[in-house]
Amino acid sequence: MNSFKRMTYPYIIWLLVFVVAPMIMIVLYAVTVSGNDTIVFKFTLENFARFFKDADFLRVLFNSLRIAFITTVICILIGYPTAYLIAQQNENKQAFFVLLLTLPMWINMLVRTYAWKGILMRFDLSSEFKVFVGMVYNFLPYMILQIYTSLSKLDKNLLNAAYDLGANKVQTFLKVTLPLSVPGIVSGITLVFLPAVSSFCIPKLLGGGEYVLIGNLIETYFVTTGDWNFGSAISLIMAIIIIISMFFTKKIDKNQQED
Amino acid sequence: MRKLIEFRNIVKSFDGQVVLKGINLNVYENEFVTLLGPSGCGKSTLLRILGGFLKQDEGTVIFDGQCIDDVPAYKREINTVFQKYALFPHMNVYDNIAFGLRIKKVGEDVIDQKVNRMLSLVNLEGYEHRNVTLLSGGQQQRVAIARALVNEPNVLLLDEPLGALDYKLRKEMQRELKRIQQEVGITFIFVTHDQEEALTMSDKIVVMREGEIQQIGTPIEIYNEPENEYVARFIGESNIIDGVMVDDYKVKFDDKIFDCDDFGFKPNEAVDVLIRPEDFDIVDRRSALMKGEIKSVVFKGVHYELIVETISGTSKTVTMHILAAHDTYNEEAGENISANDFFLDLEDVGSLEDFDLIARANAQAWDNEENDLSISEVICDLKAEVGSYSCTFKTAKGTETSIVIHVVSPTYVEDARHNIGISAFDFFVTADELKESMAISTDLKTWANAEAWNLQDDSPIDITEVKYDFEPTEVKEGSYEITFATKGREYKVETTSMHEEGDKVGLRFDKEDIHVMSKMVNE
Repeated sequence: MNSFKRMTYPYIIWLLVFVVAPMIMIVLYAVTVSGNDTIVFKFTLENFARFFKDADFLRVLFNSLRIAFITTVICILIGYPTAYLIAQQNENKQAFFVLLLTLPMWINMLVRTYAWKGILMRFDLSSEFKVFVGMVYNFLPYMILQIYTSLSKLDKNLLNAAYDLGANKVQTFLKVTLPLSVPGIVSGITLVFLPAVSSFCIPKLLGGGEYVLIGNLIETYFVTTGDWNFGSAISLIMAIIIIISMFFTKKIDKNQQED
Repeated sequence: MRKLIEFRNIVKSFDGQVVLKGINLNVYENEFVTLLGPSGCGKSTLLRILGGFLKQDEGTVIFDGQCIDDVPAYKREINTVFQKYALFPHMNVYDNIAFGLRIKKVGEDVIDQKVNRMLSLVNLEGYEHRNVTLLSGGQQQRVAIARALVNEPNVLLLDEPLGALDYKLRKEMQRELKRIQQEVGITFIFVTHDQEEALTMSDKIVVMREGEIQQIGTPIEIYNEPENEYVARFIGESNIIDGVMVDDYKVKFDDKIFDCDDFGFKPNEAVDVLIRPEDFDIVDRRSALMKGEIKSVVFKGVHYELIVETISGTSKTVTMHILAAHDTYNEEAGENISANDFFLDLEDVGSLEDFDLIARANAQAWDNEENDLSISEVICDLKAEVGSYSCTFKTAKGTETSIVIHVVSPTYVEDARHNIGISAFDFFVTADELKESMAISTDLKTWANAEAWNLQDDSPIDITEVKYDFEPTEVKEGSYEITFATKGREYKVETTSMHEEGDKVGLRFDKEDIHVMSKMVNE
């Protein structure tokens, strides 16, 4: 067993260098003012205050959460029936449909989004609608795959047991299939909501520049303005919001299983 | 009793394979019916058709006078206990049991009463709020039964419900199920492959095989009067012997004619004769109906199980020559080598490989540290003629020894009546080789090249017995006789008295202990 443990060392080092260290740096940037060097740190909460005092920033944050939330809901509404239908097929067909779903993922997301830009340009649509189209298109497969996985693991005998006890198809779905696929929905939400709330290339390309989400805001402060301290503070705020929302989703999942 | 369920000519196939070949079966009210058979006999399929989870290809199911072929599962007044219980993992014990009642929109106060009654019926009071996935197999089983029974079905179907439980728990649940069935007074249809389970619990057993019903009867009927060899073998230990029905009440087997209670067969019809092991009495040889020798004694707790051979198998006796040690020592290489002369069947000469010769001569080489060495060269000039030929075995370092191979005409023993041929040859070994043998019977068979075969189709027959009269660890130079034999006519006998292996005994049985069965068709 010890030799297996040792095999995790490369990954631990990877985590330390590329995940933990940057996180610490972001936190450090967020609570200091610009012009620091390695010796002098000036602690400040000014970066956070600046964000919360400005109504524009708050509106961008709220808008990002709203877009991500609606995207997630649409993904569930389209994804669940799709996943359900796939799980009903025989095994060969299931494999085929899963392949179809994953196929677009072989192409880079940026490229796909550019393609959508080309398509949507021809129509007179609002920027927000275009952003929704791009978001749902990009994140839907993650939702479908998660729900499909939990549905395909469902023991068919449980459905037979429900029929046996007098439940018709609708009742069986509502009382057995749906509750047992909640874990799939929850991990689907995680996989859709997170990237949706922080996405910056989709709103940038499809929203046509004037559509700013929090991801774009962060990008601007890092790349354009060069104010890394404020950019880090926004990143941190968003990270905390995401952690809180994940905490609540997990809670829903737990409650479901205990019911 | 009122007829509750009627299967009329049910046929079902999966992917072109027919699993039910026209089942006709009636089930009455309050009966405990067991469908018994090995896996793949169609018993579960029949149950699933009744439950409404499968649709038959042909035939009709009548339930309480109504055809239910087109009634979906959820509308049938039948509940099922599934093989792996299929409890809802997202509900606790109480909600699992209440599931069916809630579907029927029964008031919560009534549900509460009924669930509690069920919990006490299956001895699970106080488990209402337990997580079903954390219950033991036996407890899950009880929940599954309660969940089905709470709906007050007319019929409860149980699909191998005890298969996943350990022996002791299974026994307990058998009694429990019988008690529950008697208490609620409804029809249980139980599927199992366990004959003991079937015998203990059922009012009626349906023995199935390859999609067909072999016999329907009470446990006692099935045990004492099996229709055919299949049923007899499936239920309980049995001795089944080929016999001939000479006349009514007269059956011939083991070369003797015995009185029996059976009649109605054609004159001289070939039949199967069944005698249960517990029906034999071990008696004095003078008052015996059959005489034999005890081949083995196995202690089974309450009784001993003896194997008694009444007619010995076909045998061949050979001489084993024990030689003085004759290792050759090569001082230069520090190696020893030894090999023995042997007799060889003229017919085998052409077909022997080097490794066969090494095995037959028991050629071995070893160094000063007793490490085994491989024999790298066999120099041999065999001709397919009777005579003696020299053969030399060599190691890589040139240590060698020579032996004589005696090629002889084959000498078979042919037993035309039982269709068995057997052959074996005299052989030479050293006392040490015999002492070092780890599996003496197997080694003796190899050295003597003992073989037995079916005279008609040349298929090999096992040599089950190697008889000799010496102590392998204390054997001295000289000649010894060894007899190789095939299996004879053996009877399984259960007795409570103590006997030794090798005892010569007599067997007796009463004429009503003989049960004559028609030969099975298509076999």
